[in-house]
Amino acid sequence: MKLVKWIGILLGGLLLFAVLGYGFLEATKQVEATTPEDWAAPRTSFGHPSLEGVWSSASLTSLERLLPLPFNKLTLNKLEAGAIERGVRGFFEGEQAPSDPDAPAPEAGDDVGGYNTFWIDPGERLMVVKGTIRSSIVVHPSNGMVPYRDEARALLDDYISGVAGEHARLDGPEQRPLGERCIIGFGSTGGPPMLPVLYNNHYQFVQTPDHVAILVEMNHDARIVRLDAEHLPGHVTPWLGDSIGRWDGDTLIVETTNFHPGQSFRLAIRHQLYMSPQAKVTERFTRVAPQEILYEFTVEDETAYTEPWMGEMTLRKTNDPIYEYACHEGNYSLPGILAGARYEERKAEAPSTPQGTG
Amino acid sequence: MPDPYCDHWRTPKAIAVAIALLLGTSGLADEALEKPNFSGVWQVLNTANYNIEAHMAQASMQLIDGPFGPLPARELVPLGAVGAVPSGLGVVEGGPLPYQDWALARRDEHRANWLDRDPEIKCFLPGVPRATYMPLPFQIFHGDSAILIAYEYAGATRNIPFEDPGEPPADSWMGQSWARWEDDVLVVTTTGQNDQTWFDRSGNFHSEQMTVVERIRRIGPHHLDYQAEIRDEAVFTRAWTMRMTLYERIGADAQLGQFKCVEFVEELLYGHLRKAPVSDASVQQQP
Repeated sequence: MKLVKWIGILLGGLLLFAVLGYGFLEATKQVEATTPEDWAAPRTSFGHPSLEGVWSSASLTSLERLLPLPFNKLTLNKLEAGAIERGVRGFFEGEQAPSDPDAPAPEAGDDVGGYNTFWIDPGERLMVVKGTIRSSIVVHPSNGMVPYRDEARALLDDYISGVAGEHARLDGPEQRPLGERCIIGFGSTGGPPMLPVLYNNHYQFVQTPDHVAILVEMNHDARIVRLDAEHLPGHVTPWLGDSIGRWDGDTLIVETTNFHPGQSFRLAIRHQLYMSPQAKVTERFTRVAPQEILYEFTVEDETAYTEPWMGEMTLRKTNDPIYEYACHEGNYSLPGILAGARYEERKAEAPSTPQGTG
Repeated sequence: MPDPYCDHWRTPKAIAVAIALLLGTSGLADEALEKPNFSGVWQVLNTANYNIEAHMAQASMQLIDGPFGPLPARELVPLGAVGAVPSGLGVVEGGPLPYQDWALARRDEHRANWLDRDPEIKCFLPGVPRATYMPLPFQIFHGDSAILIAYEYAGATRNIPFEDPGEPPADSWMGQSWARWEDDVLVVTTTGQNDQTWFDRSGNFHSEQMTVVERIRRIGPHHLDYQAEIRDEAVFTRAWTMRMTLYERIGADAQLGQFKCVEFVEELLYGHLRKAPVSDASVQQQP
């Protein structure tokens, strides 16, 4: 499914909203608090605030604020959000209808899509953060957009243009996005910052007195946060960077640097993000309710952005376990992509066959 | 500056008990306080990944008949001594592996075709128990609610709850594990592994019906006794057990590196699909 289609879904929701009428806009922007007043964050057996468990970030809220005016604002009221969510739900219900056995074959060259909706799990609701319904994860700058410098934006645009279409880069596996290569998950799912993608948005936290480990469902990556430790030498640049952390009251603060140069372009259907290897990401995890972690982050990167930018998300608890996301072991797509490119090249080079003889 | 070599492994537990008495805890957290904790960076010091059975040193993992005795397979000759196999006493208890006849023949066939068949060569997930004795460390995060094991090899992971999750919904490379205590022994049962992983580079293998029961017990401040019982009636005539010692990395060495080898095998798996191939060594993957 293409990004364009997602934007279409959101706009469909907005159209429905317009039909319902703007007069209800005064409905409250606040949603009910879910935390009992006497609730206190649980503690581990060794006395640290507990983030343990499996959490999901699946949500319709996008990284950047893509909606047009008058909805181009950080918080949406229930009516606005409901319209968007109903629009998405309607789309899914339509997609999940039984196939038409009499449907004709697609035209040669048609885009038949990559998934049907059974396989995707982007969530059904917009994200509720600090009691408000959010249109974007980015909260600063106030326009909800990543503040790219022109040259960084150009780098990202150039990379995106080389993923598919007539300018696709297909000469070797190294030119393909990391998700296609099964090196890490799509986009910035492993992060940091850890952003929602089209499916497999689960994270499991396991704590010890000197570490917090975050199992990232896609692709079975363990982010190992060393508490009260020093960063690795600058030339050691692991995938997902090098993370150190500390507790500040009930909040786990994680600082990540030493990003792998290969992780600069983070492409997913849900977001496209550029961060240079010089970036520093500071994450703040706070258990604010039995079922919620408030996840805040700041991204600093002078080479890529005109100012630091910040995001806010809610991670919601789930009782389901995380199952294995093996990717490389069954990666038929990458050889298929490359083999397809070689086939097209051979076809283009082959002498044309005279009509009627072939 | 604390001495990392001192016998300090009981201290965190004592502090934790004191905190728990002050704060009050329940359920799994209580049990976490009463039981040993295996958090740390661990590694074997053996050659089981070459061959879990006792073996002599040899010139190469894959041998062919030479005029005066075995020689390395042609593709492995350039590796010289680096491609040779160190000896080992083996980790299997009680004699040779009890293969069914057909399975022993399959094992030997695997061994003769090691370069084509060993899933480690393609950087596939190692399965259980092979993940334990790969020649790279792994880190155990022994939390209150679960144990997470992160393996340096291939970035493999296992998430191990303290409750039986029931039948695995599907087979997977690392299987589905859950843990319980028998006194001070951590017993981890793993089912639902596919039949694509091997026990070692010597072609020893199992079926998707295998159950692995690992028993892990602390025998010193930096040593664990590790046993893995293999139950697989489709391949073996009886259950059998492997046993080895896990050594803790301490001090500045107690930090897991990263060996995400997927990128290292792209030339092997996809090199022939480059626009301009650079070597003739890549393999055609059979889907």
